[in-house]
Amino acid sequence: MKALTANRLIDGEVVFWRKGEWIERFADAELFDDPAVAEAAEAHGKNQPTVVVDVYLIDLVDADGIPTPVSYRERLRALGPTNPRQHGKQAEGGKVIAALAQASGAARSTGRVNLIKR
Amino acid sequence: MYRYDEIDKQFLADRTAEFRGQVERRLINEITEEQFKPIRLMNGLYLQLHAYMLRIAIPYGSLRSRQLRMLAEIARTHDKGYGHFTTRTNMQFHWIKLREAPDIIDKLATVDMHSIQTSGNCIRNTTADPHAGATAEELDDPRVWCEAVRQWSSVHPEFSFLPRKFKIAIVASLKDRAAVRIHDIGLYMRRGRNGDLGFEVAVGGGLGRTPYVAPTIRQFIPAARLFSYLEAILRVYNRYGRRDNSFKARIKILVASLGVEEFARQVEAEWEKIGEGSDLPDTELARIRGAFTPLPFETLPASSSAFEEARLADPAFARFVRNNVHPHKQPGYAIVDVSLKAIGETPGDCSAEQMDLIADLAERYSLDDVRVTHEQNLVLPHVRLDDVPTVHAALAAAGLATPNVNLISDIIACPGLDYCALANARAIPIAQHIAERFADQDRAELIGELKIKISGCINACGHHHVGHIGILGVDKKGEEFYQLTLGGSGAEDAEVGKILGPALPENRVTDAIEQLVEVYLRERQDGERFLDTYRRTGMAPFKEAVYADVH
Amino acid sequence: MPTYIKLKDGVAAWAEDAFTTVADEEKLPRGDVIISLERFKTEGDHLLVEGRSLGVRLEAGEAVEDLVYDLPRLSVIALVFPKFKDGRNYSSARLLRDRYGFKGEIRAVGEVLREQAGHMVRCGVDAFEPYDGSTPEQWQAAAHRYRHVYQRDSDARVPAFVERAQ
Repeated sequence: MKALTANRLIDGEVVFWRKGEWIERFADAELFDDPAVAEAAEAHGKNQPTVVVDVYLIDLVDADGIPTPVSYRERLRALGPTNPRQHGKQAEGGKVIAALAQASGAARSTGRVNLIKR
Repeated sequence: MYRYDEIDKQFLADRTAEFRGQVERRLINEITEEQFKPIRLMNGLYLQLHAYMLRIAIPYGSLRSRQLRMLAEIARTHDKGYGHFTTRTNMQFHWIKLREAPDIIDKLATVDMHSIQTSGNCIRNTTADPHAGATAEELDDPRVWCEAVRQWSSVHPEFSFLPRKFKIAIVASLKDRAAVRIHDIGLYMRRGRNGDLGFEVAVGGGLGRTPYVAPTIRQFIPAARLFSYLEAILRVYNRYGRRDNSFKARIKILVASLGVEEFARQVEAEWEKIGEGSDLPDTELARIRGAFTPLPFETLPASSSAFEEARLADPAFARFVRNNVHPHKQPGYAIVDVSLKAIGETPGDCSAEQMDLIADLAERYSLDDVRVTHEQNLVLPHVRLDDVPTVHAALAAAGLATPNVNLISDIIACPGLDYCALANARAIPIAQHIAERFADQDRAELIGELKIKISGCINACGHHHVGHIGILGVDKKGEEFYQLTLGGSGAEDAEVGKILGPALPENRVTDAIEQLVEVYLRERQDGERFLDTYRRTGMAPFKEAVYADVH
Repeated sequence: MPTYIKLKDGVAAWAEDAFTTVADEEKLPRGDVIISLERFKTEGDHLLVEGRSLGVRLEAGEAVEDLVYDLPRLSVIALVFPKFKDGRNYSSARLLRDRYGFKGEIRAVGEVLREQAGHMVRCGVDAFEPYDGSTPEQWQAAAHRYRHVYQRDSDARVPAFVERAQ
């Protein structure tokens, strides 16, 4: 399972793809089971250079019925920083936020690797 | 302190106008993200995990009250009410919006501040001894030279597209409070045989993937020839530094691959061809110097009864004095360190309210002068001894009087994976856990000077290589692990630490620190710091303690 | 004839390019050409004898020192900026002007953006093939973005420390 993420150009906000739109909550992100559909969305997203930057797909796993980013990094992006847990998206709370905050372990995002360049 | 004249102000105004135009061009895609990225980076604007991050230059770590108040105002209006002081003595805001960045930069310009060259492959903010102008130990005020370097390096025509970033540090006392040897160029003020001022020049220090302590390439360059010599170093680097691999592009790699002697020979050859035409005239140096000296000190007795009485009456104040207050060159004055390492808080973070308070204190009690240290603390450099109790009380009421400077809980930590797009692991929570474990101030004082430095990735913004205990976050199959190093130092006895053993999982780190401290307390001989004991005993007893249960 | 931006008395304007830039594997056309340093080493003397005006294209990383003795015979040095980030040829321009007294045209080619205009002009570059479609007016504005400069360089601008002393 995958989701498509990026940062919004104008303010840097972490955003997720949902049926042609970029939305702010991971809980509302469109989930892709079909790689071809995911890649089509990615191509579409990458073609919006005045809307978003750093568009990439992230891997998700099922954590007690809630799809959760595999990588710790992506969970932090979906939540906010952990020192203390009051800033960013996590401030809103909710079931998905709680699940993400409790998830542990797992591998890094595959999609991001190419972007980690200085 | 240096104040912008009309020329400096107009230069900055031109720059802010340029940046506003560049942001507009990006928003309509007239320039691509690939083209825009180096431009925004040259203006200190990064895209991090959760938002843009703006890094604001604090030249040689020196701030006036109204500048600090402006940082507080930006924290309140454009961020989430706080800012983060970095190991480069800059300030970072972590929740910035691109569309607001030009406005923020305009606001900064009103107080002679900017974010120019706080990122990108250019000459970055020059750092200095945070006790400059206040310590009796120094030969000269290094800020005079830092300010001259700041101007010389601003939008340098030739050296703005270097192979990699470039950092310069200057100290003028034997004590190194600026980590000079881990800089691309480290300058130590020296006196020549005939008493002239000059610099010992060290080149090619740096941390990151391949840490080096900078070797000295020239024992003495007369101060008047500094700028032609810097030009020679930069030109050799700009032409011959590697550009094919960003991990090998810092000048340290060029120095190491050529060898110190050959590198020095090339610099000397270039310098001879440059000649004196590239040096800064004495008139300009005198003008800059005039901005820093003399300071309006009062003539005071060397001791203060108010200070001594408070010390006797209040153990908390006495502890603060022991750890955070230092002698001043002027009788009746003291240098007061303001710790940004309150137990359990984020190292280097400062709220808008705290910034405002420190600005007020600086204005009333410290000749309108605040310094930022590379260890992520602040300094009120010129406090009358009579006023230290009042300043302490005001700081304590705002959570700013933690008496832990240079102690185990005075930990450097980079933002790490909580904020940074490059990080592999978090750094801040590790610092928070360790500080909480060693919250007992009696015990912390018993342990004495112990510098713990934590980085969330190999880029080493948290200076882990030069921590007495260094902690590096690594990613092991998606889990946060931490590799410990021992024996590093960023001070005058600079050294790169050595790896203790296999990386530890997050929940083992604080216990391991505890074990290292136990070994030190057991092994130490009279007056030894942790670092001294390690250097005497070597790694073995420490390693045994931490990894004993593995066998 | 293709056009490029050229400084005339410090003012950027369109100019017709009399030179043809020729890749190493291409056959030489008639007239004035800009060729690589390698090609110049083997064919340069012959071409000059033919009476052509010559330019040499210097890649980032190639040493200006290799051309020192030929500079009086050359009309153009084309400095390649392969990427916006690659700043090696700023040093080349400075050395050509200040150290070796080159009086001909120094032309910036490659990924040449308006953002670099000020740096290039200050280092002694006087001709530009902009990669971002800049017009001479835009180029001129960008090159003179700053009313003041802090360094003495290859152009005639008065640095701040001299302004202040006046």
